[in-house]
Order: sequence, then structure tokens, then C-alpha cells
Amino acid sequence: MSAVREAGELARRVLRHKGAQLAAGYLAAVSLAAIFVAQLGFDPLRQDIIRALEGPSREYLFGTDELGRDILARVIFGARTSLVTAAGAVSLAALIGVPMGLMAGFLGGWRDAVLMRIVDFMLALPGILFAMALIAVLGRSQMAALVAVGLTGIPAFARVTRAQVLSQRQRDFVTAVEGFGASAAYIMFRTILPNSWSPILVQVVVLSSIAILLEAALAFLGVGIPPPTPSWGEMLRTGKEYLHDSPTYAILPGLALTLTILSFDTIGRTLSRCIGDRNDTGTIAALAGTPGARP
Amino acid sequence: MIGYILRRLTQLVPVVLAGSLCIFLMVHAVPGGPVAAMVGENATPERIAALSREFGLDQPIFSQYLQWLGRAIQGDLGISLHSREPVMALIAQRLPATIQLAILATLIGIAIGVPMAIVSALRPASWLDRVLSGFSALALGVPTFWLGVLLILLLAVKFRVFPAASAYHPFWQSPWLALQHTLLPAATLGIYVSGIFARFLRASVITELQSDYVRTARSKGLAERAVILRHVIRNALLPFVTIVGLMLAGFIGGAVVTESVFTYPGLGRLVIQAISSRDYPLIQGCILVVLVSYTLINLIIDVLYALIDPRIELG
Repeated sequence: MSAVREAGELARRVLRHKGAQLAAGYLAAVSLAAIFVAQLGFDPLRQDIIRALEGPSREYLFGTDELGRDILARVIFGARTSLVTAAGAVSLAALIGVPMGLMAGFLGGWRDAVLMRIVDFMLALPGILFAMALIAVLGRSQMAALVAVGLTGIPAFARVTRAQVLSQRQRDFVTAVEGFGASAAYIMFRTILPNSWSPILVQVVVLSSIAILLEAALAFLGVGIPPPTPSWGEMLRTGKEYLHDSPTYAILPGLALTLTILSFDTIGRTLSRCIGDRNDTGTIAALAGTPGARP
Repeated sequence: MIGYILRRLTQLVPVVLAGSLCIFLMVHAVPGGPVAAMVGENATPERIAALSREFGLDQPIFSQYLQWLGRAIQGDLGISLHSREPVMALIAQRLPATIQLAILATLIGIAIGVPMAIVSALRPASWLDRVLSGFSALALGVPTFWLGVLLILLLAVKFRVFPAASAYHPFWQSPWLALQHTLLPAATLGIYVSGIFARFLRASVITELQSDYVRTARSKGLAERAVILRHVIRNALLPFVTIVGLMLAGFIGGAVVTESVFTYPGLGRLVIQAISSRDYPLIQGCILVVLVSYTLINLIIDVLYALIDPRIELG
């Protein structure tokens, strides 16, 4: 079966579950809104200063922020910031982590030891601290946030890929290709990798939710993507300042963020169950492997 | 046992060394450098040069690292550029607050997560299991900084039960005040870890329930209660110890966001201050302490694990 057909079949199996349907529907709606936010007539930057910090009204469904900007428009626009950063960060993590895991598992010996010690070190440092220190070096920008979040995702990919390599290494088809005299690179990328994509895919989905959370956390701490670009974390940060004046301010950005994280998590768990990981260990390992990435 | 601990401690050295070197290089790559951050934009070159000499920042970076390392081994992490106080003293002030928060959060997590896991594992796929699994998904998905804001909104702004900004009161001096100030941040973190605990322990109990010794125990007529309590839970809790330890270790320095929501004066907030004021010695000191405590807690867990499970050999 070709990889594309296999992926289509897996997607159909995942979407048979109600929770995954809901999650996929929500993510599709958020992505569409994020793409077409301007066409929908929302302007996240227009200020209406006289009506600052208003509660929900007919004109502003979720009220206005401290500069009189439409909170709903900013939340929809924030989805774009959040999803784009997460997609970039997860791609970066996979592009570095997967080859790292392939090499560590395939080459073994001292190279395995060195690569895995690097992974251990990265796991020992809470992701958020690492990301903050890196942003202090790079300066505040969307790129810095993307790179910082992406680098913290490397260990998860490296570990999962390495485990896959170790379990595939002794399989007959790998021995056969090795017997034909194929190069190490060919075996790693053309033989083992195409047969290991499903656990890696689970990591992609799970890490997307972690990346979204981490990006928002950085923004909440004031070191994320710089304003005036709307971001959920930044909105929560300012919303917290106005808890007494406008209690509804912090509700919508937090809700959008939480639902997005929950959706990725639900799809990730359904996916890991569909590929036969019955006890959900992939998800738990990813969560436990990133202590502090979340709090 | 002693040999094993010593061997593990020596294995720790390269990880901490490599880590501290990485952090040192990363921190020193900041454009402008710490002196520029200290003196502001209107400083004369002479003043910058004098300050650089005072802090030894004019020397080659590797010799700076070696000097720093040599002093760090003796417990001297340098002087904070910002407050001019010893870094060690600043960390020593904050560390107890973070430890108190981490322990209380872990206890809350266990108190919620363990009963949840056992109840749902005994009746998998029941409605109760679904509700509890939904709760753990929610606990994991809600960002601590949103949950924290909601808790403040409800319990500090609307009903004035807790203070909106937490201070540190040592538990052994004034337990009541300590609880009042630590409970909200600890509950925020505790609810989050309860999700991880519940998921992990549920999977582990379900696996144990399918094993042979459970069938044996049942077939010899042991009451189900005894099978669960005396056999299943005991075995399922073993790997659980590792997860609890990982989370506890992660809270040392990793609770940055929660500490910041509640303005709790822990190590995490010290790191934020250090990073935003580019206080090099303080950043390095904090991260070193976080690294060392994380690896030490992991070592303690491995030793504990071997003590409670005699099957594990210390190799």
C-alpha cells in the first residue's frame, strides 16, 4: 500500500471517533477563520478608544480591549499567529530530531551515546527556561519564538525515531536491503523511515499542542511575538491587568487557546490508539518527556 | 548501593558540565553584552571598559568560563549585576518557596489523579471512565496561566477568599498563612499534573489487571478488594513513582508561568527577572541550580525505585 493511501485510510479510521470529529471540525473552523479573517470584515488593529474595555455588546461580541480594539477580531487573528508559529516550530523540531534519532539508533556506539546525552541535557532543562534564554539572545520576534519553541521539541522526535529504528533494525526487510549493499543513508531514510512514519505522526500532532501552549506561555510572560501582532498569550497577559475593570477580557483568548490545545490532544490520542498503541504511551511519553514545557 | 550512587553521580558530571558550558556560551552571545545593559545608552567607552574589567568580562570567553566554574564548585556563583548581591544568596532566598509550591502541587496532583485513575481503570469504557478521562484531558489542555487567571477571577476578585498576589510564608512557621498563599498556585499546577498522573496510572493499572498473577490470585479465591489493593495497585504504583518524580523535578524552575500568574516569589520569577535585566551571573546561576536539582531528583528517584522494587538490579 502506498504511503498516501495508508495515510488516507488512517485519517478515515481516526475520524470515525466522535471526539476526533469534533476536534477536527473545530480546528478546520479556526484555520478557515484565520485565513479569511480580513475578508470576514474583522480588523484586529482598528482602535475605538472611546469604547475601550467595554463588555460584550451587539457590535463587539466579546467586548473591546484597553485600546478599544475588537477582542473577537484579535482572537481570530491570534489563531493565525498561533497556528503558523506552531507549524513552523514542529517542522523545525522534526527536521532536526528525526535525523538525530535515525543516526543515534542506526549508527549506535559512541555516536548514539553523544546524541542521546544531548537529548538528556535538553530534557533536563525546562523547555520554557530554554526558550526564554534563547529569546534573550535572539531578541523578541516571531522567528525567535518559532526557533525557541522548535528547539525544545527536538528530544521528543529524536527519542521516538530512535526507538523505531531499534525495533526495525533486526527486521528481515532491513537485513535484506543491508545485504544488497545499500548505504547507511539509504537504509536510514529510504528503508527504515518510511516504515516508521506513524509514531512520528503522533508526535507531530502532540507536539503541535505543546508548541501552541509554549508560544502562548512565552507571550504571556512578555517575551513572545512582539505587539501589535495579536497573540492569545499576549491578550491573556493584558487581560490579567484589567481583571477588575473588564472580567470578560481574558475569557475568549483563553477559551480559544484551550480548545485548540484540547483538539490537537484529542486527535493525537485517537491517532495513537488507531495505530495500535493501546495504552496511549506515545502521548504520555511526550507529555512526561517535556516537564515544565507546560507549566 | 553506595557504589551505584557514586557511579551515577560521576555520570552526572559531564551532563552538568556540558549544560553549564552551553548556557554560558548562549548567555554570552547576547548582542551588546551585559555591560551595555547595565550602563544604558549614554555611557562613555571608558566607563564600559572599567566595568568590563571589574566583572572580568574583558577576558577570553573560555577563561571566563573556567574561572566561573572554579568558583561555582566552591559554592560561589558570582555577584548579581543588577542587585549587586551574591547570586547564591538570591537563589537561596527563592528556592524554599519553589520547593514548597512544588511539593504542595504534587500532593494535590496525587490526591486528585490517583483515585481517578483507579476508579476508571477498574471500569474501563464505562460512563464514569469517560467522564474522568474527559476531566484529565481538560486538566492537561487548560493552560496553567488561563486556569490561574480564572481562579484569581473567581476566588480572589469575586469572592475574596484568597489573595490575588501570593507571597511566600514558610509552612512550618505559619501553616495557615502558607496555605492561603500557596494553595491557589499549587492547585493550578496540581490540577494540571493530576491529568498526567491519572492517564499514566490508569494505563498502568489496566496492564497489571491483565497479568497472570492477577488470574492466579483470583482463582485461589482471593477477594477482589485484596487482589486490587494488595497486588494490582502495588505493582502499578512502581512506574508511577518515576512520573511523580519527573513532574516534581520539572516544577523546580519549570513553574515559571504559574509563579508569574500569582506573582509568587519563587525561582521561576527570579529567572524571568534575570533574563529581562540580562543579569548574566544570575541567569547562569539559576539555570545551573535548576539543572543540578533536576538531575539529582532523578537520581534519588532511581534509587528509591530500586529500594521499593527488589527486582531491579543496580547495574
